[in-house]
Amino acid sequence: MKPDLTSSRGMWVMNALVLAAGLMFLSPVLYSIWMSFQTADAYYAGHLDFTLSNYELAVAEYNFARYLLNSLIVSGVVTLAGIAVATMAAYAFARYRFPGGNLAFAAVVATLMIPSHITLIPNYLTLAKAGLLDSYAGLILPAISSGFAAFFLRQYIRGIPRALDEAAYMDGANAFQVLWRVIVPISKPAIFSMGLHLFISEWNNYIWPLVAIGKEDLYTLQVGLARLYRINPGEDVIDWPLVMAASTITILPVLLGFVLVERHLVRGITMGAVK
Amino acid sequence: MSSIELTQIRKSYANGPEVLHGVDLSIAAGEFVVIVGPSGCGKSTLLRLIAGLESASSGDIMIGGTRANDLAPQDRDIAMIFQNYALYPHMTVEQNIAFGLELRRVPKRERLARAREVAEMLQLTPYLDRKPGALSGGQRQRVAMGRAMARNSSTFLMDEPLSNLDNALRVAMRTEIKELHRQLGATIVFVTHDQTEALSLADRIAVMKDGHLQQFDTPGAIYDRPANRFVAGFLGAPTMNFVPAEALEGWTGPREVELGLRPEALRLHRARPQAPAIEARLALTEMTGSEFVLHCESPLGRLTAVAPRAEGLPSPGEAIWLEYDAGAAHLFDRDSGARA
Ligand SMILES: Nc1ncnc2c1ncn2[C@@H]1O[C@H](COP(=O)(O)OP(=O)(O)OP(=O)(O)O)[C@@H](O)[C@H]1O
Ligand SMILES: [Mg+2]
Repeated sequence: MKPDLTSSRGMWVMNALVLAAGLMFLSPVLYSIWMSFQTADAYYAGHLDFTLSNYELAVAEYNFARYLLNSLIVSGVVTLAGIAVATMAAYAFARYRFPGGNLAFAAVVATLMIPSHITLIPNYLTLAKAGLLDSYAGLILPAISSGFAAFFLRQYIRGIPRALDEAAYMDGANAFQVLWRVIVPISKPAIFSMGLHLFISEWNNYIWPLVAIGKEDLYTLQVGLARLYRINPGEDVIDWPLVMAASTITILPVLLGFVLVERHLVRGITMGAVK
Repeated sequence: MSSIELTQIRKSYANGPEVLHGVDLSIAAGEFVVIVGPSGCGKSTLLRLIAGLESASSGDIMIGGTRANDLAPQDRDIAMIFQNYALYPHMTVEQNIAFGLELRRVPKRERLARAREVAEMLQLTPYLDRKPGALSGGQRQRVAMGRAMARNSSTFLMDEPLSNLDNALRVAMRTEIKELHRQLGATIVFVTHDQTEALSLADRIAVMKDGHLQQFDTPGAIYDRPANRFVAGFLGAPTMNFVPAEALEGWTGPREVELGLRPEALRLHRARPQAPAIEARLALTEMTGSEFVLHCESPLGRLTAVAPRAEGLPSPGEAIWLEYDAGAAHLFDRDSGARA
């Protein structure tokens, strides 16, 4: 029997289930946020406490404000540039037939099968040769071309009736205007999904910044965070409340970004275009 | 306004059979041409070729006296109404209508004023702020029409632009299109399945079948002198009756032909008349308004006649006589179907 959502009892059961599931997913996050407000002494002694000292420490001692800025710059630029490149590639693959087009698309799809660790060393050598290690450019450039985003957007654009392109051409648009005024607005849900995907992947990227960056003031949050585990090698305890404060600084922008983007992820926008 | 000249146009789609087999069509500047033909005969394909959305496999397309085969659609100054509307789903009705003007950098105030004017004409004013998804089929179709009409193009291609409208709206829009044509003097190529539309709008009608142009002439000429049996049977409602000449009692003309008799060339008698007539049995009557359509069974096959409503009609099953007007008969070659 289906649960009766209209009766107050059905409602109550449903709400309890949803709440339980929500808590299950949120509890580690909530726990780490809670922990970030404890002093280390109180935490290990099992007292309750409230302090902002971990955040002060992370920002003042360990330069996390700078790491946050670096992460925002790198992930932001990667997202914008990556979406621009992927959208144009997707449009070309979806709408134009050109010699070698299928082969080129197969090559794009093939990049999806290659683990990023395999490209790590070639990328490193290339960027070293170009003198781009230890720079924002070195962090950003290798991440811009996303085969997955190009593939995903191409599939989406293929679902948009070609008649809309044709109508725009008849209205006097050129290819770029068709892309910008018709395809992009209609693809907004897919573009925002891919933007979110690119942003989060880059935000969580750890290995590449670790190998590409030596200068401390170019560290991203993930690299800075990992470093907290190996400070004070003489001491045998890790300052968990400090790590949790730094983690919270790392998580919050992503959550905020998701909240901002989420309402653009609605679907069904081509409704009513063609018979 | 531009003339459109098609010479020996052939078109095959990628990996498909040929769908246009050498079409010649010469449309004068400012002319209103209606294309009719059965579904799948290549009408939309022909429009798309003129628009530049498809390229011809061979043949020449001249627009305004210059070869346009390799001209991009946006450079042809042609407005098109698509059979499937192709409205921009992310834009409001107003934006849909004004988009072409916006691309041509018409100032905002001017283009919005124009969009409103067009919307008024198409009775779309209440829906200006809606998106296509929230419109009925007929409303969408009118937006598609408005989008084409907002610009003063030299040429309009309209692919069944009135097919989804109710009768009153269709008649009103027909008048608007005629008026638009008169005001702008634009060249219009109009596809329709509706005979009344074709006969009432066209300067000339092009009848197509299976990728071939059958006849291209004025409505009067097509109706009075159809070039072949297909055209004769395709235009005119109810459709023309065809009977073998030698089987027709009292026929004095050539015998080795097929005769075409329009329903109005048959006169109903309830008793055998003096003049030669076909003996038949009334099978079914159909009211169309001012007239009745009579479906009759005869030794020559099924025949259709019309009778005014006033006449006392026989009832189904009754024997009747259909007197034919020999002067109004069309003669067609029995094998080729060509007008004899
Ligand atoms: N993109 C295409 N690829 C392959 N064949 C096509 C394509 N478009 C149309 N055809 C074929 O070409 C022929 C003519 O199609 P077209 O759309 O021009 O017909 P139409 O006269 O407009 O018909 P209707 O009255 O049903 O709209 C049809 O047989 C159709 O199957
Ligand atoms: Mg068609």
